[in-house]
Formats: sequence, C-alpha cells, structure tokens
Amino acid sequence: MQEDSPLSPRSFQRLTKRPLLLGAASLLFVLAAVVAYRFTSTSVPLGPQQRVQTINPKMGVHTRLTDEAEPWKIKRTLEMVREMGAPWIVEYFPWAYYEPRPGRFDWEHPDLVIQHAARQGLTVIARLGFPPEWARPPETSDLYLDEDQYAAFGAFAAAFAQRYQGQVTYMILWNEPNLSLEWGGRPPDPESYVEMLRVVYPMVKQANPDMQVLAGALAPTLAPPDSHEAMNDLVFLQRMYEAGAAPYFDVLAIHAYGWGFDADDPADPSVVNFRRAELLRAIMVENGDAAKPAMITEGGWNDHPRWTRAVRPGRRVENTIRAYEIARNEWPWLASLCLWVFRFPWDQKTYQDYFTFVATDFEPKPIYLEVQRYARGEWEAPTP
Amino acid sequence: MRRLSWRLVFLAALLVGLMAFAGSRLRTVLFGPTDATWQALQERGVWRVGMDPSFPPFDFLDETGQPVGYDVDLAEALAAEMGVDVQIVALGFDSLIDALRDGKVDSVISALPFDPRLTKDVRYSESYFEAGVRLVTPIGSPIAGIEDLPGRRVAVEWGGAGDVQLRRLQKEEPTIERATFQTQEEALAALERGEVDAALVDGVTLALAQGQGAALQAVGPALDSVPYVIAMPVDAVLLEQQVNENLTKLRKRGFLQRLKDQWLSGHETR
Repeated sequence: MQEDSPLSPRSFQRLTKRPLLLGAASLLFVLAAVVAYRFTSTSVPLGPQQRVQTINPKMGVHTRLTDEAEPWKIKRTLEMVREMGAPWIVEYFPWAYYEPRPGRFDWEHPDLVIQHAARQGLTVIARLGFPPEWARPPETSDLYLDEDQYAAFGAFAAAFAQRYQGQVTYMILWNEPNLSLEWGGRPPDPESYVEMLRVVYPMVKQANPDMQVLAGALAPTLAPPDSHEAMNDLVFLQRMYEAGAAPYFDVLAIHAYGWGFDADDPADPSVVNFRRAELLRAIMVENGDAAKPAMITEGGWNDHPRWTRAVRPGRRVENTIRAYEIARNEWPWLASLCLWVFRFPWDQKTYQDYFTFVATDFEPKPIYLEVQRYARGEWEAPTP
Repeated sequence: MRRLSWRLVFLAALLVGLMAFAGSRLRTVLFGPTDATWQALQERGVWRVGMDPSFPPFDFLDETGQPVGYDVDLAEALAAEMGVDVQIVALGFDSLIDALRDGKVDSVISALPFDPRLTKDVRYSESYFEAGVRLVTPIGSPIAGIEDLPGRRVAVEWGGAGDVQLRRLQKEEPTIERATFQTQEEALAALERGEVDAALVDGVTLALAQGQGAALQAVGPALDSVPYVIAMPVDAVLLEQQVNENLTKLRKRGFLQRLKDQWLSGHETR
C-alpha cells in the first residue's frame, strides 16, 4: 500500500480531524513567522563600539526617535549625531507607549534606541512623560495626570531607571509643566509639579541610585500673571523652590531658544532669548542651589524662510556654534547643551522642519556640516 | 433552493456595494461635480482668501494697514473673473493651511510653494510664479548652464537653499569654488561687482534685483522647482477649475507679466 505524502489531500483530511495537531502546526507557523520577521526584516547589527570625536564635550542634540519604527533609521540617526561630534542626546520615552497596561511593560523600542546610542558612544538624557489612558480620567488630554497617579508615574520611572541602570544616568521628569497644553489643559501649577517630584524622585533613586533626575524643562515664556495658558518660566522656577523642590532634583533642565535674537544678546527678564538661561541659573543660585548643575535639553534657532521667529540660515549657523562655545567657555554650571532637533522621522510640514540638522532622508543640511567642522576644530566664520 | 437564496443574498450585497462605491461617481456623471466651497462662495458673493501679509513684494501691508502686493492684485483679478468680491483674511504663514482645512478661508494665495506632501489635504492650482533656485550670471556671460561651472567661483547665501544646491553640485564637480555671503542680496552684489562668476539665488531675490536695474540673468531651469500656487480645499473641484481657467486667461492677456513688471521686474530668462 502506497503511503500518503504529508501534503496529500488524504493526510490533510486526517490532520484537520485532529484539532490538537492542527493547533500545534498553526502555532509553529506563527512562531516561525515572528522569528523570521524579527531576524530578517528589522534587526540591524549594533556594530563596533564607537567614540565621539569633538573639541566640545558639552555638545548635544535632541533626537526624535520615539516614532521612528525602522531600526536602521534609528542606528543611522545616532551614527550621524556621533559623526557630527555631539556626545549628548535627549530622547523622549512616552510612558503610554511602554506601559500600555498597569505593570505590563514593553521595552523593545527603548532597548533599541538605548543600545544603539550606547554603541555610538552617546550619553542619553531620557525624557519621560505622556501618561497612558489607564492612568488618567476619561476625556482628559494626553498630558493630564492627577496627583493620585503620581506614584504610578513614579513606578514607571523607577522601572525605566532600573532596567537601564549603567546605560542611562539622566532622566527628565515631565516637559514644560508651565504650559497649560503640557499640563493636561489645566492652568500651570508649580506646587503640584513639585509634589510630582516629591513622589517620583525617591522611587527613582531607590530603583537606581545613580540616576540623575532633571526637573523643570520649562518653556521660555513672557506669559502675563493672569494667563491660564502659561506661566512665566522665571516665576514658575521660583515657586518651585518656594514649594520645596530643591531636594527632589539633581539637575535643572533648561529650554533656551534664541528666536530672532543672537546668542550674545544679553539676558533680560522681558525678552525670550538664548541667554535667558542665565536668569534661570541666577534663581538656582539665589535659592542656595549653586552646586547643582544645569543642562539645556531644548533650544536653538530656526531658519524657516517665512516664520516670524526665524533667522536667515547663516545666522542660525553662527548662533548655533556661538551657543556651543558659550556653553563650553562661559557657563561652567552647564553640563550639556542639546539643541532642538536633530531629525524628524517624517516631515512636520510646518516651521518645525527648519529646526532640524538633517532632512528626513538623512541628507545633512549645511548647518550639520558646519557644526561638524566646528566639532573637528576646523570651523571659522566665512569672510566674504 | 437554499443555494439559490444564498446566491441572491450575495448578488444583492454585491449590488449594494457597487452602488455605494459608484454612487458619487454616478452622481457626478448624471448631475456634474459638486463643490461645497464653490457653491458657498457664490452664494456669499465673496471669495475669502487667506494671506500672510509679511512677505513683500507678494504680500505686505501698506502705510494704511491695507494688504497689498502681487498676490493681492492676483486675487482681485481672479475674483473679478469669477464675478465675486475678494476678502483678504490676514493670517500667520503657519496657520494658512489649517485655516483652509477648517473652512475659515476658501483659498490661500500667499506666495505659497507647492508641497507634494500636502496633496492629500489640499487642492493646488497651476503655478503662477517660479521661485526656485536659479543659476544667475551677468548678461553676456559665457556660462550657459551648470555644466560650465567647473573651475568657476559661485556665490551663495551661506546655509541657504542655493548653498544646499551648490554643495550637491560640488560633490560631482569639486573644482567649483563656493563663495559664501550672509544674504542672497550680498551674493548678487558680489556678482555685479565681478568678484564671482555666477550665483545661486531664489527666483524672487533675482527678480527683485533685476527690478532694481541689476544686469543679471537666470540661466537654465530652476535647480529646485519652487512653484507658487493657490491652495483650495481638497474637494473644491469646481473652484480649482475656475481658478485654473482664469489663471490661463490672465496669463494669455499678459496680466501675470504686468504683475511681475509692477512688483518685481521685467527681464526675460534666457
């Protein structure tokens, strides 16, 4: 009697009569597909350990890899940051992405970013925020967090700190809490933000004592006192200190945009410019926090041809390099200067595209090439 | 019998699906295209045009605060052809497309470059002005195109769109010498003084210099096409038709050239 081949109709019929066998075969097929997908379509080798070559160890950029799905693009971005000569990056890790259900973490994407950054010799400043839906009341904005959920945020931050111990040593808690938009649509509330620090900071430290916690990351703004949309950053920081914030952060995160002003334009409380960072530093000193460093985690200039706060491309280059020089030579209290923004995964189709150093297709803009020359010690301002 | 009823159900579902799919197309075939924007502006008798009045000579405010410029004149001429009045709605450049999407304006005329990334969201007219980077030489120069640039000294605005183009050209032809200036105007001034052989600047800067009497010419096509267009809601098929027909009419009548002469310059491209 001739035996049926494994794929003959008769053996298929026999197979379909055995649900257990069929289930096992399906499971094997799915597993094989997953393995094939993970190892053939998306994975890229980390490559050899690299080191950033630069004349200015404070140089940094804010990358935007949060929504970058393709591993080779993550790697290429970080390679180009290194090749530009910037040893620091700020990257955003939204809580909602990585803890979709309470206590259930998905670290796949952050693992990828952090491993590639480490391999390129970059120091990561991790920005945390963006609560998941389960952590906020229904019908609230994506950035809303009640005080009774601060411990849940703390648990996420602690889990992050523990997982990346030895790989990530800087963490920013929340972003621009002095804007209503970033504070869940509510009026900015420095005392409540300090309460967040009071809850989260010890949880992070317990999980990873080496983690340096950054606070503030305030939006530079001249909002009037009666505004519900924003609170003046200088006022907000002072109120943070008055609410007892000092023991609950290790580094002040500063946002320093130049808008239409040059990097050397003097600080003035009535102006938003790059040196406004000095006013925030003065508040730290006045409140007995002089020993604590600061980091600029966002900032820079924009060269959109039409946006009212933009400058010409050449002025952007000069100011960017001057800003790195100020950080290196004039501000000993500043540990790093990370400018917004290295590259977007896709075009924003707004003036935001003109903050980038590299186009979405990785073509370096002139500012990238000029900053690279600066980091190599080869740069000089052109003289016509 | 049972098989027959399943077939009937299947056929009925197929028919309903086809009708739903073809419904809008069928309506268009039977009754012509519909366009809520066009219908509303005709009923209103006013064409609401969004504009950022901060980009002379295309869009700016005169001493009385009234919007003036190339785009204002163009909007008025098009409105006259369509038999409606025009209302200029002043907006920030970054709000123009949002205002169009939200129905706050019917169109945007604001030296707006065509953006292929937005074609799912908005409908664009034909181009009425080319503002891309041009290779510029003195009138009478032997340079006839980018193929003549090796060994030449070329002026650009440092870090600007011309600089991006020149750096690309230098990858192919490293003998092209790059001379950088703080502005495009300074690059053209150096060209006029004979300090460089050519310049790469955008079409607006060139036209303005020509309008002020500079004996300069554009050589060859734009190196990166930046056509200025009129944006409309994505479903405004009739309005688009009207705008394009009237743009053609105005071009044939020489109106667009007169606008260029009035607000920019009149030198022809070789």
